[in-house]
Amino acid sequence: MSNEIIAELRKDYIYNLMVRGEREDGRSFDQYRELTIETNVINKAEGSARVKLGDTHVVVGVKIQPGTPFPDTPDQGVIITNLELIPLASPVFESGPPREDAIELARVVDRGIRESQAIDLSKLCITPGEKVWMVFIDVHVLDDGGNIMDASSYGAVAALLTATLPAKRYDLGEDTPVPLRNVPISVTAVEIGGSIMLDPSLDEQSIAGTKLTVTSNQEGDVSAMQKSGVHPLTTEQINYIVDIAIEKAKEIREKFLVI
Amino acid sequence: MDKKLVIPGEFLSDDPSLADEGTYVENNKVFSTVFGIASFKNRVRVVPMAGKYIPKPGDMILGVIKEVTYSNWIVDIRSPYDGLLHISEFPRRIENDEMSKYLKLGDSIMTLVRDVDANMKVELTLNDQRLRPIKEGRIIEVTPSKVPRFIGRSGSMIALLKNETKCNIFIGQNGRIWITGKDNGMDLAIKSILKIERESHISGLTDRITNFIKEAKGEKIKVKKPESEGILDELLGDEK
Amino acid sequence: MSKPEKLIENGIRLDGRKPDELRPIKIEVGVLNRADGSCYFEFGGNKVIAAVYGPREVHPRHQQRSNSAVVRYRYNMASFSVEDRKRPGPDRRSIEVSKVSREALEPVIFQEYFPRSAIDIFVEVLQADAGTRTAGINAASIALADAGIPMKSLVSACAVGKIDDTLVLDLNKDEDNYGQADMPIAMTPDGNITLIQMDGHLTKDEFKEALEMAKTGCIAIHEMQKAALTEKYSAQMEGENNE
Repeated sequence: MSNEIIAELRKDYIYNLMVRGEREDGRSFDQYRELTIETNVINKAEGSARVKLGDTHVVVGVKIQPGTPFPDTPDQGVIITNLELIPLASPVFESGPPREDAIELARVVDRGIRESQAIDLSKLCITPGEKVWMVFIDVHVLDDGGNIMDASSYGAVAALLTATLPAKRYDLGEDTPVPLRNVPISVTAVEIGGSIMLDPSLDEQSIAGTKLTVTSNQEGDVSAMQKSGVHPLTTEQINYIVDIAIEKAKEIREKFLVI
Repeated sequence: MDKKLVIPGEFLSDDPSLADEGTYVENNKVFSTVFGIASFKNRVRVVPMAGKYIPKPGDMILGVIKEVTYSNWIVDIRSPYDGLLHISEFPRRIENDEMSKYLKLGDSIMTLVRDVDANMKVELTLNDQRLRPIKEGRIIEVTPSKVPRFIGRSGSMIALLKNETKCNIFIGQNGRIWITGKDNGMDLAIKSILKIERESHISGLTDRITNFIKEAKGEKIKVKKPESEGILDELLGDEK
Repeated sequence: MSKPEKLIENGIRLDGRKPDELRPIKIEVGVLNRADGSCYFEFGGNKVIAAVYGPREVHPRHQQRSNSAVVRYRYNMASFSVEDRKRPGPDRRSIEVSKVSREALEPVIFQEYFPRSAIDIFVEVLQADAGTRTAGINAASIALADAGIPMKSLVSACAVGKIDDTLVLDLNKDEDNYGQADMPIAMTPDGNITLIQMDGHLTKDEFKEALEMAKTGCIAIHEMQKAALTEKYSAQMEGENNE
């Protein structure tokens, strides 16, 4: 993602802190930065959320419109997730259609929601074979402070939790909330010099050998995983990350139950 | 009053002969070009609150190697313009294919701006005994226009920081600051510098920073065991 | 909403405003970390965020100018910013808005101070309610100042329109959809117009009056832009008398 050069001196500093069990901002390895979630921030969207995770800032809008179902699933609604790494958010993001980084992020956010069956797609059917609700999840990254993945995922879930199916506008009855029946929470870890840290800051992310995102559902089962980056991980590391990710997700999920 | 916060286009003076940096003259009047602090002592100038570093010959700065070509190191100097360090400006005679051995991608250097031409081609040099690659310590970044504030009116601010934290501090004109010393000292120096940057526009800065540092060191005394020798030891921490 | 009976009655518009009243404005400066300068701007139901990067290296290199900075402006609407979801990416309208907005700001920027560099302005519309381009220009001006870019002055923008044969300042979405004219302008505090577009129907006299009305609106907005920039620092500067 980044093609900025990080000074060796800086890498050394973060590495030395890591060896002492410390992080630059004073967090412990499994600690998340301050997370704030605001919902209903965009009135034109059927659901919306603004998430700040440390210095990372994203806005998610959920737009819901009737449309035609896919031919192989005639009685199921459609979820489409898109993510824009707009140039406003970082000196290294370029204008243009989403490239592999943005696409990967969008697809992993999508996978977490889809595979946890958070939305019962059959409840989004209006007329089988003809009309279903299309749920567009659009993630707009405004400021990259590291770990866009989790910030985007939390934004998507928060926006869905507070979204309504706009039936009235289309003369299809009364507005109802989007039928969400699970709350998938993603937890992203990075590996630096053999140590595992959660919720990487921008520099931690750039220096890390690799990243692993684990999304778990309310029952504590794994719904989605994605390793992103070149460096290999050992089985022990992966198992460890899965364990702490499920634990951490329970903690973070608390924030969503009050939305 | 001799200082004022101004926005671009704000009227400053009727006397064009007083116009200095950060201003422009139109219709025989002087206006501000930037958002910053206007000062009216002698000449009329505006120091911007933000802005990029634009290199000038003679500037001593801190750079990071971003590319190694056949005969040049291309250096990130925190400016819209990259610095070029030609192989002949390295203090030793080396071969072109050895360049990465001496300075590679990501290495930090203290360097001097030798020349800037009309096309903003920036030539750097390491041919000066003050200059060197940087292998230890930490480098932090502050707004280049605030650099003079750190130096203080007679170097007093930086002397204060160096004495109280027992660190060596070099302030690059490009807003990069290099600090070396013991971990505790460096942490305190960095916190103080960031505080100076945040509060550079507020008067009484020297006193506030002095108090800030003394308080920080005072806290350290309370935290440590009572048998410790004195402030110096607290600051330097245990030798490992 | 289908066309209302009247858009203005007894001198009061549907949202309660008088003809020469601007919608409420909320401004936050320096809201983004990575950008060199930034501004969040709410203008009635419009929510836009502007970011400035620069001066910085020009990519792609062929866009470089040997004797000045190149100013680039990208206006973009988020998919969720409008009633019917908009497909992501620039469309013809965004490209046109980007061009005229850039032309509204370029004249005040001292581009010649930074040869061979780029000053990039990005405006994202998060929520739209008529007047996004003027909100964008207002926000971009502030973001440029926040980034320390040298300028002759800020640029302020607003639109004037005609509804039920009455000239009104700062149209909202319904007034824009069902009104008779829409004219956004941008200007500098000394009265120079840097952007003017118009569609609809105005007599010559109506046009002159509309222009004056818009200028008054812009002057009011300029005061708010200045206040937003200075409020962060001016309270702290009380008693600054030496150094």
